[in-house]
This record gives sequence, C-alpha cells and structure tokens, in this order.
Amino acid sequence: MVEDLLIIEDLVKCYRGGTRANDGVSLQVEAGEVVGLLGHNGAGKTTLINQVAGLAVPTSGTIRVDGCDPVAEPARVRRMVAVMPQAHAPLAGVTPRQAIRTMARIRGMNKHDSRARTDELIGALDLGAWADTTGERLSGGVRRLTAFGMAASSPGRVVMLDEPTNDVDPVRRRLLWEQIRELADRGCAVLLVTHNVAEAERSVDRIVVMGSGKVLAEGTAAQLRSRTVGEFRLELTAPSADGIPPLPGHIPAAGPPLRAVRRLAIPLDSQAASAALAWGQQLRAAGVVDEFALVPVGLEDVYLQLAGGETAPDAEKGEHGESLAA
Amino acid sequence: MSHWLRSYGLLLGWTALRSRATLPLNLIIQTFLAVGIIVGFAYLVPEMDDATALYLATGAPVLGLITVGMVIGPQEVASSKQEGIFDFNRSLPVPRSALIASDATVALLTALPGMVAALVVAGLRFDLTLHISPLVLPAVLLTAFTAIGLGYGIGYGLAPAAARMMSQLVVFVALMFSPITFPASRLPDWFESVHRVLPFQYMAEAVRDTLNRPPEGVAALPFAVLAVWSLIGFLITYRMTARRP
Repeated sequence: MVEDLLIIEDLVKCYRGGTRANDGVSLQVEAGEVVGLLGHNGAGKTTLINQVAGLAVPTSGTIRVDGCDPVAEPARVRRMVAVMPQAHAPLAGVTPRQAIRTMARIRGMNKHDSRARTDELIGALDLGAWADTTGERLSGGVRRLTAFGMAASSPGRVVMLDEPTNDVDPVRRRLLWEQIRELADRGCAVLLVTHNVAEAERSVDRIVVMGSGKVLAEGTAAQLRSRTVGEFRLELTAPSADGIPPLPGHIPAAGPPLRAVRRLAIPLDSQAASAALAWGQQLRAAGVVDEFALVPVGLEDVYLQLAGGETAPDAEKGEHGESLAA
Repeated sequence: MSHWLRSYGLLLGWTALRSRATLPLNLIIQTFLAVGIIVGFAYLVPEMDDATALYLATGAPVLGLITVGMVIGPQEVASSKQEGIFDFNRSLPVPRSALIASDATVALLTALPGMVAALVVAGLRFDLTLHISPLVLPAVLLTAFTAIGLGYGIGYGLAPAAARMMSQLVVFVALMFSPITFPASRLPDWFESVHRVLPFQYMAEAVRDTLNRPPEGVAALPFAVLAVWSLIGFLITYRMTARRP
C-alpha cells in the first residue's frame, strides 16, 4: 500500500479581520504522486502551502507530513519539506550553480553529493549556458528554473512548488515537468500550484480545484472531465456574441451555453456533432460568425464551470444556471 | 549544536555571496560618511581643540556603525520582506538563530572597514595621541551588535514603509542630536535625560573611552546598557523570524 506522505484534514485558516483563507480543506498526497492545485488568485493555495511548511499556524484542523505535525514540530518539518515559493528566489549576486549547490548543502547533502546533484539538475534543465551568470542578469524563466533546482536539490519527503512553470520557455517547460516527475519517482509527494490548466491536465496525477478557501473538486483529469456536461463544445466567434442566433431545435444542447464578449460555447453530446458542424458552416457562409470550431471538452471547461462562478478571470461566466461545484 | 554550526557556516557563505554585489557601494558610502563627519563637522567648530578633535575622531566610527546597523540594516530587511526573501529564508531547514547570526556576522564584517577608514581619516586630519585600551575590541563589537540588533528589530518589527522612515529618523537623530560627536552637557536637560536611556551616548562613550583611556579608567555602565539594548534588538528579531501568523 502506498503511504500518504501529506495529509491535510479539515484545515481552517482565518486571518485577523475574519478572512477565511482556508475553509475546511482536506487533501492527501501519496509518495510518488504529483498533485496539482488549481484555483483563482486568492483561492487559498499559498496559505495552504505556508501552513504545511510550518510558516503559518492553522486556526483548526490537522496537517501531517510523513506523520509529523508542523504545528508542534516546525523545525523538524522544515527539514522534511522543500518549498519553491511563488516569489523570485534571492539570486542577486549568486549564480544558479552556487544557489543550487548551497541549498543542497543547507538541506543536508555533503560537498561531493551536492556538486553531483547540482550538475545533474543543471544538465537536466538545460541551464548550462547560464549556470555561472549572476542572478541579476538572468531572465525570469532561468530564475524560476534555478528556484526549482534549489527546492529539488535535496527535496526531502514533500515538495511544494508554487507556480513552477511561470515565465519558462516551452522547451525547458517540458524538461521541468520531467524533473517534477523525477521527484515523484524518487518517492517524494509533490504538491504544485499552477494556473496553467492545460499543463496540469497533461502532467499531474491528480487535480484539486480550490475556490474561496474550499476544495471544489478533486480527482484525475478524466474524472473531473466526466463531471462536465457534454463531450464536445461548439465554439462560435462573431463580432458580438449577442448577434449569434439560438441553437436550432433539431440540435440538442447538452447544457447551457457559455457566453463571452465575442464567443459563444455550446456543450453538445457526440450524436449532435455532425448537425452542429453543418449549422456552424451555414452561419459562417452567411457571415453571421467569423469562425467556428467543434472541440472536445477539456479540463479548462470543467475548471471554468467550477471556479468561474466567483471572480471569473474573464467574461466566461454567464447564463449557465446550476454549477457543478455545488 | 553541530547542526547549528553547520547551518551557520553555510548560511554565512550564502549571505556573503549575496552581499558581494552591494559590498563595494556600502564601503564607499561608509568611507565618505566618515570623511564627511571628520572634515565637514570640523567646519562647524570655530576652534578645534584636542577635546573636540577627540569627539569627532571617535564619534565618526560610531556613526559609521550606526549607519550600517540601524540605517542600511532596516532598509535591507524591509526590501527582503517585500521581495519574499524573508519568507524564503524562513522556509529553510535551519535554526532561526543561525539565520540571524549569519546575517549579523556579515553586517559586522561590512561595517568594520568603514570604521577603520574613519579612524585612518581622523589620524590624518587631527594630531591625536590615543591611549588605546584592549577593551576597544569588546566596545566596538558591542556597539556594532547593538546597532545591528536594533536595526533588525526595527526592520522586522515594523512594516517595510515604517521601517524605512524609522531608519531615516535614526540617522537624523544620531547625526545631529546625539552626544556622539559632542559632549552630552551641551544638550538641554530634558534631552540629556532622554539620552540616558537611548543607546547612542553609550555607544560613543564605550568607543571613545577605549580608544583614549581616561585617567579614571573605562566605565562599565555603557557596556551594560549596550548589552541590554542589543539583547532587546535581537530578541525582537528572533521573535519576528520565528513568528507563525
């Protein structure tokens, strides 16, 4: 049986002034598992990480890191947990090689091993060209990769990464995901915060969606996708979404449409697909829409349905009545 | 203990690496400050006698230590809080006290060259014969740690914007209104009483009396007061570093 290295149960964190940053959060991360934490800004993700790392104390609820309580033994837990913070790592005057090696040493490695591990990470993340350039002259992406290297140098049992792929170029992003997987393969439990839904869908084992301090949904990408209505989505783009006529009666919609400024997205089941395509072609031929597309439902659709109800990042929320989050 | 020492050593190397970038500028500013006080303050004094020269010569290095500890210190802490470096450091698997000790060590090493520069400039400017006591070493260390400890206390205890303003106030008070470069007897009575509590006068006294030992010997009071102030500063720092909101 695989052990849960990170167990969070009914975690509540209230700040002065009454803000409930975490409101009854429960989640587990097993050894060898990568769990993605999705949610809007202010959903309570970073607060959660800080409590696990022993930097903040929960108002109520329990946290166990490999059986150890960060409230009672913060110093011990800090040695078991590696955190890559959302803010830039302090790299002014320091090169990626120096930073990764020093962190490996601070996390308990000997000189020889820390050097070997640093070379390994620099090679794996393709950082060789900047390995000896000081921080102030590094691009944002290289700084992010270095910060990841600092956390991954000697990762302990639980690794928490706060938006690790921000600013990183597409090629190194893949290398970074490989290294995140490698941490899990070493037996670490990896919890990572991301806003990149598509990446999370491809690269993590399980996804936890947070909103307003609560867990809104949890499961594999496939499990979460199955929560949404329809298998496809007909997307119509027009100068104004209001100008798009309603779906004809012979095409059954699988759920309420999502309306954006210039875009209408209608959920459909597979049997309605060909009729919907024909309708889309007609509309374009008539000049009513600029573009149309029939796309399979992705995790982003689920995410928007789940989390879109609160502080939607754009105009994707709209007329859909019942929320799957309920 | 071995974990503490190992952490301290590694953090010292880490902090030193990161301070290299700002070190040259720090040293230049300190040296200019020392020159400024010794040469510039002399213009304010119509007649330079030995007593005045001694106050300026021994006050300049103290002001250098105050600048590094209580002005640059809180400003660096304020920035580290705003840039997330403080939180990053707090997440490291090291004892909090080792973190503070390594920072304080680097600040001390940064402050000492400026202090030496001030003494060299004073030696060149004034024709002074000093009777240096061996107690000068603890006096300088205690003065430096009081400035550093209180500087950190300001930086960690106050919000960044307030800490920056406070550091400005400190330099203003220390430079113009503290009996560091002049005798306390020139101050109005009420202000003299205030300075009996504040650490500035005792910093100046400890350094002055050990650089030029008075006939009656070096007084213990300044050392005791400085030890208390330094302890207060580091305790606030420790509390704020170990604090878990």
